[in-house]
Amino acid sequence: MDLALTNDQIAILDALDSLAKPYASPAIHDAGFALTSAALDRELAEGGFLDVAFDPDLGTVTAALIAERLARLPYATEVAASALVRPLFGDDMVGPMCLMEGRHAKRPLRFLKAGVTVILVSADSVSSFVASDDQVRAEDALFGYPMGSLLVDPANVGATPHDVSPEDVKIRWRIALAVEAAGLLAAALESVCAYTTDRQQFGRPLASFQALRHRLAEAQVRTNGLYWLAMKAAATLDPGDAALAALHAQESARASVYDFHQFLGAMGMTLEHPLHLWTYRLKALASDLGGRGGQALAAADSLWG
Amino acid sequence: MDFAWTDEEAAFRQRLRDFLAATLPDDWERFSQHGPASPALTKYAETFCGKLAEERLLTPHWPKDIGGEGLDPWHQTILAEEMWVAGEPRGGQYMNVNWIGPTLIRYGTPEQKARYLPPISEGRALWCQGFSEPGSGSDLASLRTRAVLEGDAYHVTGQKIWTSYAGLADTCFLVCRTSEDRKKGISILLVPMETPGITVRQIPSLIGEGDIHEVFFDDCVVPATARLGEEGDAWSIIGYSLTNERLGIPRYSLARGALDRAVAILKEKGNFVGEAPRIEAAQAAALCEAARMASYALVDRRARGEAIGAESSSARFATIMAERRVAEFVVEYLPEALADAHPYLKMHHQRGIVAGIAAGAAEIQLNIIATDVLNLPREPR
Repeated sequence: MDLALTNDQIAILDALDSLAKPYASPAIHDAGFALTSAALDRELAEGGFLDVAFDPDLGTVTAALIAERLARLPYATEVAASALVRPLFGDDMVGPMCLMEGRHAKRPLRFLKAGVTVILVSADSVSSFVASDDQVRAEDALFGYPMGSLLVDPANVGATPHDVSPEDVKIRWRIALAVEAAGLLAAALESVCAYTTDRQQFGRPLASFQALRHRLAEAQVRTNGLYWLAMKAAATLDPGDAALAALHAQESARASVYDFHQFLGAMGMTLEHPLHLWTYRLKALASDLGGRGGQALAAADSLWG
Repeated sequence: MDFAWTDEEAAFRQRLRDFLAATLPDDWERFSQHGPASPALTKYAETFCGKLAEERLLTPHWPKDIGGEGLDPWHQTILAEEMWVAGEPRGGQYMNVNWIGPTLIRYGTPEQKARYLPPISEGRALWCQGFSEPGSGSDLASLRTRAVLEGDAYHVTGQKIWTSYAGLADTCFLVCRTSEDRKKGISILLVPMETPGITVRQIPSLIGEGDIHEVFFDDCVVPATARLGEEGDAWSIIGYSLTNERLGIPRYSLARGALDRAVAILKEKGNFVGEAPRIEAAQAAALCEAARMASYALVDRRARGEAIGAESSSARFATIMAERRVAEFVVEYLPEALADAHPYLKMHHQRGIVAGIAAGAAEIQLNIIATDVLNLPREPR
């Protein structure tokens, strides 16, 4: 076992950090619940960062590292699905992508808008289609991603079937979810630690009160554990590893999100602080693939039959 | 990042499993309920550790020139995992090889090494750690057991409490006060338990017979040559020891082993079919594996020669979360395990409560994470 980053991975993450630097601290007053940047999306695509998993020498772990790192930005950018799920379908499939469960096709979905490639995962089949203007509606949702809803029955969109098993897609979907959540939790935690260190009440920093310190420390424990579970799952592509990572992601989001806003006090209710740009993305990940119960049952099936 | 074991690491693990299968008695699982510090298990551990030593598996991670094989921290982890998941047949001797030995190797005089390391590496030593006192638990630096140097000997007077293994130990790793300075006034003495003036009283416990004790020191005379390091060095030596201790006990392995056993029993009974137990079991497994991976991340750094510090508290707290969740699962779905139905699960349940208390309480770990990992301002004192 060797958990160090390879030289290639270090170089890629360095390049990614350089690219992402201008996007680290945007003005957010006009951002609303979700912050997006077409320029960032374009730079990532042109830089080949979403294609690393097609290179067997780099593989899914490198894709996972990229998705985790980019999730830390305040911008919501479609990376995880393109970098981790798309390789199942070949490099002629064009991003951005939207992952859709057949049983929940009418739910508001992340990144669903005209022009995106929708991967439709049903109980026994996987198909895809490129959404058109008349098929989708943008949603003004309380989530940190741009959200859209499908207006038509997915059975009638002429989706192209793929010779890919639903289970294989779900494994990568869970890994994508877990690495994105790991980055979101890390950024949200860092943001809360900074605010509560600066903010003085009762003559001392909020973060010097043990009531906050211990809960923030627990969030660190969860975030760290999630990072490693997610990276391991990206390396093994094992269904049990993937389900445990996704379960830990959704459970850790549940355990942390309201604490984070609570610790910011009234500032935690505003759009002036960027915290929601991470936490309200975590909320959007909570319902994927059946939520915690869905991941737990998948994990139990895989671990114990 | 490579998450796969090398062939050599996998073979090492298999060698340990084969050894355990060939060595442990048929009734081992029931026997292990006696607890690591019980007279029965302590006696068995002498035999078991002697055999481990013969196979050169007792201290394989020690340097070659002092009885080890010079194997890396991954092998140390594999060894510790296999022993813990088997119910720790090394008894209290696990402590010797995990941190007492390494601490003596680093800080001991040639005479101390010559006296204490061979019995450890041959599997015939048992130590206890004289840390906590009635007024000094988590606040260890407030300890009051006093060692006064008169001529070439210390006179030790005071009381230790909640001391594991003291009833049968041959030597005490004693932390005591040699001056008034809160931290720089603390020193370590290596005290033979047969020293006149030591009285040991067993405290009934939740974690098995013979495990925790009060130890009284009534003007015990200990030669100055028994001091480990210089006077006042204890705090830094303890820091080194506890870092080894925190990484040294892979409790997640036994927690996961107990969880898998509980699920197997439930399946056999036809009681692992509803969603509730399956969801709960998976939640516990996620915490076990998160703790395992958090620990592996630190083992990996040690294997590359990097120092690890506060992050060990994060891995440790992750393990506490896992221990609790597995124990809660068993209480809810297999309560008969806490009676006499499933000795392995009972053994885990007895020992699991230790996770958040010994070697620095859970709250201390959270304080360390807050201050040294998250860099949050300290709480005023």
